[in-house]
Amino acid sequence: MSVCLSRSLCRVLSRHTASSSFMLGEHHHAVLSPWFASVMTLKTSAPLRAEPKKKKKVSPMTEQLQRDRLKKRVKRLEKVPPELIPIEDLITPVTCMDETRERSAPNLSFEESERRALLLKEWCRFKQEQHMAEMQAVELALKAQTEALEELKLESEELYHAALKPDTHLFPFTHEGPVHTPPMNTYEAPDGKYNDITKVYTQ
Amino acid sequence: MAAPCRRMAGRSLLQFLSSFSRTSVNNSGFRQISSTSVCRRSWQAQHVEESASSPWTLMAAVCLQRLPVISAESSPIEQQFRDMMSQMEQEKSMLSDHELRLLDDADRIRRMQTGEYDSDEEDDRRDQEIVLAQDLEDSWDQKLKNFQPAPRVTAADGDPRSLQRRLADSLLLLVEQPVGGQKVWLLPQTQWQQGETLRETAERALTSLPAAAGFKAMFLGNTPCGVYKYKLPKAARTESSVGTKVFFFKAVLADAGPPAAPDSPLMWVTKSELQHHLKPAYMMKVERFLLGL
Repeated sequence: MSVCLSRSLCRVLSRHTASSSFMLGEHHHAVLSPWFASVMTLKTSAPLRAEPKKKKKVSPMTEQLQRDRLKKRVKRLEKVPPELIPIEDLITPVTCMDETRERSAPNLSFEESERRALLLKEWCRFKQEQHMAEMQAVELALKAQTEALEELKLESEELYHAALKPDTHLFPFTHEGPVHTPPMNTYEAPDGKYNDITKVYTQ
Repeated sequence: MAAPCRRMAGRSLLQFLSSFSRTSVNNSGFRQISSTSVCRRSWQAQHVEESASSPWTLMAAVCLQRLPVISAESSPIEQQFRDMMSQMEQEKSMLSDHELRLLDDADRIRRMQTGEYDSDEEDDRRDQEIVLAQDLEDSWDQKLKNFQPAPRVTAADGDPRSLQRRLADSLLLLVEQPVGGQKVWLLPQTQWQQGETLRETAERALTSLPAAAGFKAMFLGNTPCGVYKYKLPKAARTESSVGTKVFFFKAVLADAGPPAAPDSPLMWVTKSELQHHLKPAYMMKVERFLLGL
């Protein structure tokens, strides 16, 4: 322990002497400053005398070390997975958990519950018929189209190939869907001013 | 949420089924050639000869549709189901802020009337004392009554030339064109010329109509959606012209432009009215690709 301390002390002291010797251009073996009197009695190893080489490594070494340390810190920060953005639709708001908001359960008569059950079954049947009709209509339209293409092929090959080419100008296709009442030309809608308070999260 | 979506998809059922049943009855006895020979007695063979291999004349027609402007009427079962679903959903729901306020106001009024009301207890209701929730509801109802929406069933429903008729259905454009010496109501068609694709022919068919000036249509693809072919009567047949093939192309009306003159030979019809105007064999081919309009 004491040897290490002395060695480091030696190195520190020799650094100072080395700088002076480098400046003066003298060989370091010949330099014996008064500070070294007691310390020189200890063993000094060869690397200690190689002052100029060590000095060149010192400043780039520290900068390198600092850069490495910073990079390590940055890597450690990056390794942490980013905080997940909460999906607000899936979080039940606290106001909905309030018990005072519960509606009293309705008392349904037997006829009413029967009517509801029967209506549900009728609806099921109605939707199934509708679905089958839609599927059949689509199949029929598809059959009509394949027939048209076959006839066209019999007529002329180049027209057939021209018909098979996809239409690039078709998509994106937009159409305003049907509304409940037709639009009125003379109606002036009131100004719809609103403050958008949606929370925007960034990672 | 399920009920309104299904309502939008359910508009086609009644019309499709009605037209389906009607046309199947009508087309039982008609053969293709007999109907055409009646119509096309004096056929002028002045058409352009295309490639020598094929004896068929090619024509392209456009099936121009005006899509519905308003939502379809609900059938009785749809209405019943919708009412029942809204009732069930309300029963299963929780009380909203407005309803809570209504209940509190009613409670407070009741307590005020019985004399137990202590206004110091309710320090956060100063502003709500002045305007009751019931008053707010009444003012909202009043505002709704003051607003008159446009009627769904317009006066133009009976006029076949108006584009504002039958807003809940999609309309198809029919024109009266001379075919084989006779004037026939059909989808606008024109002959194919060398150097253009069939879709371009269909576009030309639309733009060349004198009454349809200013129609902006979006053609749905390069492929024909249907074909109708008819052979000329035996007397008019030659080696180079046996008959005609008409290819149909679907288009959606984007902009109508100025309204048509009352005597123009064009008509906007729904699918159920088609059979009154089209020839049966033609109708049979056309209604296949009109997806239960």
